[in-house]
Amino acid sequence: MTTFLVFAVIVMLYVILVLIGKANETSKLLSGKVFSYEGDSKMNGYLMLGFLVLFFWSIAFQIKYLTPLMIPKSASYHGDETDQLFYVTLFFISIVFVLTHAALFYFTYRYNESKNKEALFYSHNNKLEVIWTVIPAIVLTVLVVMGMRVWFKIFDVDGRDKNMMVVEVTGQQFKWTVRYPGPDGKFGKRIIDKEHVSPTNELGIDWTDPNSHDDFFADKIVLVKDKPVLCKLGALDVLHSFYLPHFRVKMDCVPGLPTQFYFTPKYTTAEMQDYLKTLPWWNNIGKESNEPKWKTFKYELACTELCGRSHYGMQKDVVVVATEKDYLDWMKTQQSHYETVVKPSLEEKKVAEPIAAVVSTK
Amino acid sequence: METIAAHTTVHTEHTTSHDDHDHHHEASWLETYVFCQDHKTIAKQFLITGMFWGVVGGLLSVIFRMQLGWPNETFPILETFFGRWAEGGKISNEFYYSLVTMHGTILVFFVLTGGLSGTFANLLIPYQIGARDMASGFMNMLSYWFFFAASVVMFSSFFIQTGAASGGWTAYPPINGIRDLAVNKGSGLGFDLWILAMALFIVSSLLGGLNYVATVLNLRTKGMTMMRLPLTIWAFMFTAVLGILSFPALLAAVSLLEFDRLLGTSFYLNQIIINGNLLDYKGGSPVLFQHLFWFLGHPEVYIIILPAMGIVSEVLSVHARKPIFGYRAMVVSIMAIVIISFLVWAHHMFVTGLNPNLAAVFVLFTLLIAVPSAIKVFNWIGTIWRGSLRLNPPMLFAIGFVSMFISGGLTGLMLGNSAIDIQLHDTYFVVAHFHIVMGVAAFFGMFAGVYHWFPRMYGRFMNDTLGYIHFYITLIGGYAIFFPMHFMTGLPRRYYAFSNFETFSNFDSLVVFISIAAIIVFLAQILFIVNFFYSIFKGRKVEGEYANPWGGTTLEWTAPVARIHGNWPGEIPSVHRWPYDYSVNGKEYITQDVPLAPGEVEHK
Repeated sequence: MTTFLVFAVIVMLYVILVLIGKANETSKLLSGKVFSYEGDSKMNGYLMLGFLVLFFWSIAFQIKYLTPLMIPKSASYHGDETDQLFYVTLFFISIVFVLTHAALFYFTYRYNESKNKEALFYSHNNKLEVIWTVIPAIVLTVLVVMGMRVWFKIFDVDGRDKNMMVVEVTGQQFKWTVRYPGPDGKFGKRIIDKEHVSPTNELGIDWTDPNSHDDFFADKIVLVKDKPVLCKLGALDVLHSFYLPHFRVKMDCVPGLPTQFYFTPKYTTAEMQDYLKTLPWWNNIGKESNEPKWKTFKYELACTELCGRSHYGMQKDVVVVATEKDYLDWMKTQQSHYETVVKPSLEEKKVAEPIAAVVSTK
Repeated sequence: METIAAHTTVHTEHTTSHDDHDHHHEASWLETYVFCQDHKTIAKQFLITGMFWGVVGGLLSVIFRMQLGWPNETFPILETFFGRWAEGGKISNEFYYSLVTMHGTILVFFVLTGGLSGTFANLLIPYQIGARDMASGFMNMLSYWFFFAASVVMFSSFFIQTGAASGGWTAYPPINGIRDLAVNKGSGLGFDLWILAMALFIVSSLLGGLNYVATVLNLRTKGMTMMRLPLTIWAFMFTAVLGILSFPALLAAVSLLEFDRLLGTSFYLNQIIINGNLLDYKGGSPVLFQHLFWFLGHPEVYIIILPAMGIVSEVLSVHARKPIFGYRAMVVSIMAIVIISFLVWAHHMFVTGLNPNLAAVFVLFTLLIAVPSAIKVFNWIGTIWRGSLRLNPPMLFAIGFVSMFISGGLTGLMLGNSAIDIQLHDTYFVVAHFHIVMGVAAFFGMFAGVYHWFPRMYGRFMNDTLGYIHFYITLIGGYAIFFPMHFMTGLPRRYYAFSNFETFSNFDSLVVFISIAAIIVFLAQILFIVNFFYSIFKGRKVEGEYANPWGGTTLEWTAPVARIHGNWPGEIPSVHRWPYDYSVNGKEYITQDVPLAPGEVEHK
């Protein structure tokens, strides 16, 4: 019923607007004068000037009230540089934005036909055109050079720290699998063929490789402050994208094509919370948690490549601890997948093997 | 006024000769309105089909904005219409992804490519270059009917059991490369239909495009040199060139994709493991598809925006009563955009596993393309400077276009810089960027064109008051929807809900605001459509047999208001001057077919 009423009101509104429109037009035609837009131009000149003011005011309003809600400062070192590049670009484009908009809407007001009856025949000005070709070209060159310096630093394979830690993250519908190499620092080999890949071993890990025996799967990603980390990324079924918003890290996970991202965390989770505590907005009470927002803050991993109906649910917690020792303590609480799951099932299988062998020879 | 009088005498002289040209064949109803080969009717067919798609595409966005704005509410009407896709009045996540996918596909291809180029290239190319019709009227007709067939197939995919395509309008494999994904039903028959519809669409686009280029190059009237072409024609011709060179890449890409899906080839698939079962695909690369897709995909955004730029250049000049500023620079910048647009495609792929070294080239060209775009913006502003602006609906939309193009274009400098793009890629910042610069802006160009050439199409005006309401709601509403999204940078796009993430929970009240704005803007577009159809029958009439209601200089205003086959009775006017002689030699405007006065020097 309400739906019907809403539709009825909307239809009425259209009818009224059409009648108003028609009435305006008819009264203008009946006024006896030659049909002219001069009155409209005058009105629209003021309205467009008003829009300019409204637009600039609304941007100031948005900066004031929306900026505090944004994802906070970068929690990684390279992120500082990309953020800085963002703000440098923002500086340049803000100037262009304000000047061009001021000119566009002011000219619209100033030179509407009610204020300026005669247009000026003015078809080109080569000097001016050269100026506004060359200046953007110079600014853009600067931006390209700055951008490339940051970019190549991020993807500088040779410059990587030898002591970095390595985490393997694999996306699949609709979860992330996080594998750590365990105390030996080496991952067990993965072999993607029908022999190794199975519902109990989706990654195709070769359990005969001794390096695999201390590998463990974690329910979250744990990183160490100031310790570089190489994320080895992959996907099993469709494209996913490994996205750590706070760390300014994003890289697609592609089935059959390994990708990676190397970065260094800058703030621990606790440090970030302490920082957010100093910002007024983060002291608001969260709706569900009933706690200040900064208290429930956490680093998170999200998927940013459409991967199917539960794409929006691929969440994983990320924790940055302060020291290597904290990390090792956490590692001790984790259990080797081989020891806890694979080995017992292999032993079970050994008992059942003779029967399996008979089946397979048939 | 002098100029109009001059025409009338010229044309009456020819009325005798036009009789034998026109009446040799009595066209049936079917030939006049359905299988018509007249460019003016085909333009209207494209426009009205495009408007239908615009409403559908917009409505889809209203539905998914309702989900985003009020994720905990239910809307029983949705269940009434969509049944099990919206059980209990709440759309399912799968349906959400279908809506998003189809919204993108429909608006990018069916509205802003088919609807925009199809309408205005068809209407204006023969009129403005002084031709009786397109080079091949039959091909032109086929172009529309392939578009129509594509529309039928695409629309039908909403009504199949597994639902419409839901893997994103970019059609990336593997999610769209495997037919029987249990968790993404839209990858099944829905996506087969998507590919079929796109193939038909591409055929339509190629038939149209080849025709546009051939017509512009070969059928210009006497005296219409290339540098006397209005900027609309330059824009339409280069749009067609872009389409001809890039759409085949998409056709190839989706054909191979269909082979992967139906025949088990592995062009794009490698080592796919589903539920622990390794599928038989081997050796393909999903990234290859992205290269092929964006080889079309990026020129595609210029296929969308160039016609709008052409229309806006023309409309600004006519209603400012002032020549376009820097005509040559405008032509050169269109050419530059066309060439560079083929060298930037991988800026959509900076973080997709592309070799990081490749990024350097694409960053360079991406930022380089901002130079011709900047030139165009400055020239538009130069055009209205010291004009005598007639601020009616077409002019307002043209000015709004410039504003949108600036606002949306500038953020492209951030996205185009690969290091910044790491964070911004696939987030709401991108949504804000491309919706403003090629969504709203292209619509503004299209609206400017419709309001401006409505008298040419129907011999009547659209209602101005409704036009103003439409304009201000769309301008303010467009910014209300998309400008705040810049602050949602970091929030992933294509999320059905943000409730699974602490990080993305800060904007709850903003998304409600955006959803309300989106619904209001949608309703304003319906007002435009009401105005359009009302005005066809009841609009204010254009007065006079050869009326030139805006005082335009281009040839379409020298043709009679009554729309006749062959456009001009008698001889086609010949051209003696460039298309922007406004406020010159003591006259408000001089149409292109008026010979130079004694002692007058042609503008070069």
